[in-house]
Amino acid sequence: MSLRKIAMMATPLALALTLIGCGEDGAGSQVVVPAPLPSTTSTATPTATATAVAYDSTNCFLQPIQGQNGANLKSFIIPDTLKLDLTRPTKFPNGRHPEDQVVDILLATLLLDMSVTGQGPNTLANVPLNPQRNDKFFLLTFPFLPTPNGTPQVATGTGTNFNFRTDPDSAYVSVDRMGNPAIATALVSSSMKLSYNDDTPTGDVANDKYLTEYEHELDKLFGLIGDDVEKLQLKICAKKT
Amino acid sequence: MRRIFKTLLAGSAGAASLAALMLVPTGVAESADHLDPPSRTDGGVDPNPDIPADIADVFAWHSNGTTKIAMTFAGPVSAAATTPLYYDRDVLYKINISTAAPGNTPEFTIKYRFGPGQNPGEWGVRIEGIPGVTGVIEGPVEQDLQKDGVKVRVGLFDEPFFFDLIGFRETRSTGTLSIRNNRNFFDTQNDTAIVLEIPDANLGAGVTNLGVWGQTARFGGNI
Repeated sequence: MSLRKIAMMATPLALALTLIGCGEDGAGSQVVVPAPLPSTTSTATPTATATAVAYDSTNCFLQPIQGQNGANLKSFIIPDTLKLDLTRPTKFPNGRHPEDQVVDILLATLLLDMSVTGQGPNTLANVPLNPQRNDKFFLLTFPFLPTPNGTPQVATGTGTNFNFRTDPDSAYVSVDRMGNPAIATALVSSSMKLSYNDDTPTGDVANDKYLTEYEHELDKLFGLIGDDVEKLQLKICAKKT
Repeated sequence: MRRIFKTLLAGSAGAASLAALMLVPTGVAESADHLDPPSRTDGGVDPNPDIPADIADVFAWHSNGTTKIAMTFAGPVSAAATTPLYYDRDVLYKINISTAAPGNTPEFTIKYRFGPGQNPGEWGVRIEGIPGVTGVIEGPVEQDLQKDGVKVRVGLFDEPFFFDLIGFRETRSTGTLSIRNNRNFFDTQNDTAIVLEIPDANLGAGVTNLGVWGQTARFGGNI
């Protein structure tokens, strides 16, 4: 089912969104998305009309993100490392605290025009789109992560004279790497997955090796959902061509 | 009012659109990086997935003069697992930390390996390269370990990632809008994690900006 059809299936009431919008750091002002007025007469179901629109997401990577000292998406994901400025409070994309609503923040950062008053990295997190918090509270002190659920098998927590490998790094072959949440998953196509995971941040910055790939994948995403985001009266960061 | 927002959004076109973002084109992340790359770590793609080497998430945060880093991974056992507990001795886990320009090269590479003890259920971890720590930290998992001001623990924890994966999957398979912000797929699930707490002084004088990334590698080649 196309996204356009999905959108048409939604009730008018459901479009009555109010997104608690963003100030400089994504908190403060409001974006109010008005609900369409209900029709008083029966009308035929509109027919979806295919519209050939191409998107250029270049701007999405270059626009400053509010509250991040002028940094933009490109500077956060190239190289693909989690960046943490110790002089500022931690909140993704400045580092990543376990409590951060990283999916909602990332979606807003990828999709929205940050120059529009009321739109920012926390626009969707403030709704929220996904669950707002973890099922268990994080601890304020070490080890910070909550205890496991249920009664799983766990190691005894005892022992000595453990038998570790001592082989050099050269005896190991790369399997996986991760810096930022979901970037490799959302912005790297299947054909490049292995080379991306086998690469290093030094490889990332060499002629911005993966920027074209990121842009291409984000262009495709806008091609599928850009119009739907705009229907919510949110301004997208991609340009239509 | 807030509850009304949630209800409205749960059935909205906006929810569908944004859910679709996560549905295309490369599939849904089980966690922020879990099951990626699929051809090595996803059982739906690889008949022999490398579960212990599958990084799920990397976290890095700072408060009260210390930097906290956590890396979660799929192995060795989940809450529902019935297979014997094990940590994979053949996987080398790395947490890289850049503390100076350029941010793409690490000043510190923390390496950790697992090994069995002398008795059933005994597993140890050996960690080298920790900032400000002389030598290695070695000891049993499921215990707080401490040396030169650094605290380390490896073990099973509540899965810290939260996300409506079910809603994304349902939307993908049925076309019916079903993403919800009151449903966390990861409720009651567990993950293995290494957690470190490192005093600022251990990272070096004047360090204010970090770059952090995780890597896994398997002894002898991919399975």
